[in-house]
Amino acid sequence: MDYFLTQVAGFWFELVSLASDPITYVYLVCSVFLGIVFGALPGLTATLAVTILTGFFGNKFPLEQSLIALIGAYVGAIYGGSYPSILLNIPGTAASAATAMDGNPLAKQGRGGEALGMTTTASFIGTLIGTGFLLVFVWLLLMISKNIASPEKALLALFGILLSGTLMSKDLVLKGWISGLIGLAMAMVGLDPILSETRYTFGWSYLMSGFQVVPVLMGAFAVPQIMDGMRADGSIGQKVDVGRIVPRIGTVMRRFPTIARSGVIGTGIGALPGVGEDVAGWVSYGVGRTVCKDGDKFGTGSVNGLLSAEAANNAAIGGALIPLLVLGIPGSPPAAALLGALKINNVIPGPTIDPQLILHVVAILVMASFTMAIMGLLTARVFIMVLRIPQTIFLPVVMVLTTIGSFSVGGGINDLYLMLAVGFVAFAMNAMHYPIAPLVIGVILGPLFDETFRRSLLISDGDLSTFWTRPGAAILLALNVALVVSQLPIVKRLFTGRKRSPI
Amino acid sequence: MEDKTALRARDFWTSLVLIAVSAFFLWRTTHIPFFATRTAGVSSGDWYNSAAVVPYGIFGLMLLVSIGLLTISIREGGAERALRGAGIGWERDEVIRMGCISAILFFYIFSLVPRVDFIIASALLITTLIFGFHGGHTGRMKLSAAVFSVAGLYALIVHFPESQWAKPHDDDWVTLIVWVGFTAWTLWRHGSEPQVRVAPYIAVLVPLLLVLAMAFGFRQNVPNRSGLIFSQIEYHYYVTLKPLWAK
Repeated sequence: MDYFLTQVAGFWFELVSLASDPITYVYLVCSVFLGIVFGALPGLTATLAVTILTGFFGNKFPLEQSLIALIGAYVGAIYGGSYPSILLNIPGTAASAATAMDGNPLAKQGRGGEALGMTTTASFIGTLIGTGFLLVFVWLLLMISKNIASPEKALLALFGILLSGTLMSKDLVLKGWISGLIGLAMAMVGLDPILSETRYTFGWSYLMSGFQVVPVLMGAFAVPQIMDGMRADGSIGQKVDVGRIVPRIGTVMRRFPTIARSGVIGTGIGALPGVGEDVAGWVSYGVGRTVCKDGDKFGTGSVNGLLSAEAANNAAIGGALIPLLVLGIPGSPPAAALLGALKINNVIPGPTIDPQLILHVVAILVMASFTMAIMGLLTARVFIMVLRIPQTIFLPVVMVLTTIGSFSVGGGINDLYLMLAVGFVAFAMNAMHYPIAPLVIGVILGPLFDETFRRSLLISDGDLSTFWTRPGAAILLALNVALVVSQLPIVKRLFTGRKRSPI
Repeated sequence: MEDKTALRARDFWTSLVLIAVSAFFLWRTTHIPFFATRTAGVSSGDWYNSAAVVPYGIFGLMLLVSIGLLTISIREGGAERALRGAGIGWERDEVIRMGCISAILFFYIFSLVPRVDFIIASALLITTLIFGFHGGHTGRMKLSAAVFSVAGLYALIVHFPESQWAKPHDDDWVTLIVWVGFTAWTLWRHGSEPQVRVAPYIAVLVPLLLVLAMAFGFRQNVPNRSGLIFSQIEYHYYVTLKPLWAK
């Protein structure tokens, strides 16, 4: 208990020191604004916002300041996706796809302002709930994580890739797994982490250090969006009118149980390795439809439906940072971009992470959520105007942004070649309904998996039983096996009673 | 939702490519010592020491799941449609659109960014993309790609070696002339369209502000510092402007 109180006191101290520094507000206002704009513009994502800022800040700025900008953009972008979802029925980000289900019908009923106001409030409370869980659970897990050895880490990394592949796949689950395997394969390029043996470099010295995370992220998330989005689109550019945006306190209080429940669900889903905000939104929406009294009205303009999705996707941010900080395993694609930023600054998340940094992250999340709420309620009309910019105008600008961002991190043209090559591959994968998130998670977790898997074998003299004789490893192995087995057609048929379902 | 059989036809081809890629990399993995290796005088004679253990697993699994995907695609009718262009869901206009964008991005990254001033190269990119793709006209897409390719091919062919990249060359001027000429033509012929009128402002301001912010604000590296415009900016920043406040 004393330990917990010490951490809470440490958090307040960090919050006060952050709030008393004027530069914090400059970073927060600019980054949250940028994040909301990125979220609001269909085609641009939270991951892209965080990645582009990672390129800009690199390691030339103190990490404490870079983190304010990166987390501010992350929070802003997840929230910003709700604008086009509600007003245009076009999800700004994948995370806000569920928001459109009830947000747009509300806007069509002339209640767009109310929907935006409630969304802002739900996102704000949701982020705070996720942050609260982050503050509490990160310490518990950090204590447990000191007992996590190589076999557990290897199996957890594998679980993250498998889970991401399973849940992110919109077509066959096999495609999600293939995407994760491609990411893992990309991570094998370069010098291996234990013997420094060269792998798949084909004599090119650039590949000795492996694929850099930032160009891969830029290529995977920016280039396909640019290639796909550069087409005539009549749905963007129309003028949108909304009424009163600031919600009434009574309405918020009445809806608080829905927001709180969704916040908890969102945090839980966000904490699963490699899953992220979009799955959180849909799961919470599904739960809300089952438990809410007006569940049968979901999809026709239900405020509870709107809040279920929106509170959860923002709460997932705090959840996604838990595995990132404790184990170095990102809970979502934007968290993967954050991990890239940490690595550029030579910070290795995990049991040895500086506790002060965790408190700093929590304090930034709290301040970012307040900034987001204030900007969302008071300057919503500015973001509504942003929606009128056609994709064909802003996507060329994004291409220039990603090029200079990707170049700056590594300082070389080779990073741009890598970015474009990954971009073309990611575009082809998108066209064939392969999810991109597992690929990125694979690239990021690949080195961790490789190193910890081989270290486990090295320590046990090649005895594979090390992966099931340790209790933690046995549980994780069982989870991995269960995840794969649950997707087999024969098992699916047993549980769902469906006739034939390809894996 | 796209036609599922068309998707399976694409899956058919993808699975064949993945099988070939997995087999190739499995073969390449055999180049990594697996048993009884000796690296830098250190003997590591056990399979579990080898750097090839995990790659064997990854590419082996990829081969298996690719065969699984091939089986599904054949079972769901993908193989039957796979040999027809229409069968895999390709439309002529979409192929042209993708070809034009790919050409522009290819020449931008592989040809202009390494060799030409970043502001000029990006201005041409923004102008051609906005003009070519805003309205969805196939003719404009082709024209934009052709104009961009002229500048890209010139820089690529005339100054191909890496040793030439950082040196100031006529390719900066060629790209600038192409951009000015193309912008003037679009304003003359299509000046009534709002996106055409706004494009030159975006094309100049965005890369200029970005480069200034990156080089002098964020203190990051920027492409081609010896470029026509950036070299002048950098010179006057350090020689003309900085002494003003340094004193």
